[in-house]
Amino acid sequence: MTEEFKPKIVGFLCNWCCYAGADMAGTSRMKYPSNIRIIRVMCSSRINTEMIIKAFQTGADAVFIGGCHFGDCHYVDGNYRTKKRIDVLKRLLSHMGIEQERLRLEWVSAAEGEKFSKTMAEFTDTITSLGPSPLREIKEEAI
Amino acid sequence: MEPELRDYVGELLDSGTVAGVLALKDELGAVKPYLFTKNNEIGDLVLTSKYPLASVMSMLQKEDPSIKLAIVCRGCDERALIELAKRNQINLDNIVFVGIPCDEEMADKCNCLQPYPKEIVTGEKLSNWVPKNNYEDFKNMSTEEKLIFWKGQLEKCNKCYGCRNACPLCFCSDCELENALWVKHGRLPPEFPIYHVIRAFHLAGKCVGCGECENACPVGIPLMTLNHLLREDIKDLFGYMTGQDIEDENPINTKEEY
Repeated sequence: MTEEFKPKIVGFLCNWCCYAGADMAGTSRMKYPSNIRIIRVMCSSRINTEMIIKAFQTGADAVFIGGCHFGDCHYVDGNYRTKKRIDVLKRLLSHMGIEQERLRLEWVSAAEGEKFSKTMAEFTDTITSLGPSPLREIKEEAI
Repeated sequence: MEPELRDYVGELLDSGTVAGVLALKDELGAVKPYLFTKNNEIGDLVLTSKYPLASVMSMLQKEDPSIKLAIVCRGCDERALIELAKRNQINLDNIVFVGIPCDEEMADKCNCLQPYPKEIVTGEKLSNWVPKNNYEDFKNMSTEEKLIFWKGQLEKCNKCYGCRNACPLCFCSDCELENALWVKHGRLPPEFPIYHVIRAFHLAGKCVGCGECENACPVGIPLMTLNHLLREDIKDLFGYMTGQDIEDENPINTKEEY
């Protein structure tokens, strides 16, 4: 008997754009998969490597990061920094043997509720086909 | 190489250009870092074996910021000093570089990308040097194989913090590796892979490839594999090499688009 795999996705959303975008999707009654667990942060550049790896280690199959479009950052240049960090971290994850598709960075503005719901549906599909995170198995072994 | 260097260093001391020369001293067949201040000690100055002198230099400068010192440095020491100066850890104006190149055996052992400093006082630099080991075996592994490889390697870790303590670029007084939120206290080996990912990522755009972390590791984790690959990635993504020019900022910390 096999249970259907439902990926757990941790989403770090920036307060000013992506979180408002997710809110927009909600208030507009748009449907998106319930696999994402949203954590609101003040800026996407607030998210550091430690947080992302910790999310993976505590059982997340994927991590989503949502920020403002370039030029729209509430703190002027936070998202430029995020972009660079995430690109380097993706490479590092793939060197460590974790598929880099499990980490996704997307720019969603406060008005793009539809983009948010579409992205979530697409990301959930990608992770469902990738299967459970390898770090999740390690966590279960350790317990 | 050594006699010429001793003469050069002796002149620096005699002329009063510097108050001391930081180099390695031979003591009962082993070497230790030593600050030569008198000309008659210089006979004990040796070059062989490698030691992260950059961190010793930053320690000395913290004791007395105004003192002018010379340092006998290899390529990696010089790069480390430049990287430290970028982060306001040392003042390059008070440092005189006495550059020495590494020989082929040494460069090969460290798998060094640039086994010579910018200016060389004595000896010959290896021109057209290309490291032999480009980690092709590792790169050819599949994602699952890489995971299995690291799982096996990192299982050996006994969290001695040797890699961090030996690293010339690890200077933070509050280290994230000691934060119980990320790395659980009292758990051996540390949970896979957060400890090593934090270290590798914090050194991205900072690592000068000196190999001290791998040398210090008592269980032989191939840490330079990660550092080397990340250095390549940084070069690939941003066209940035560490320790070249004090004006170059670490691209990860800048706000510019790339």
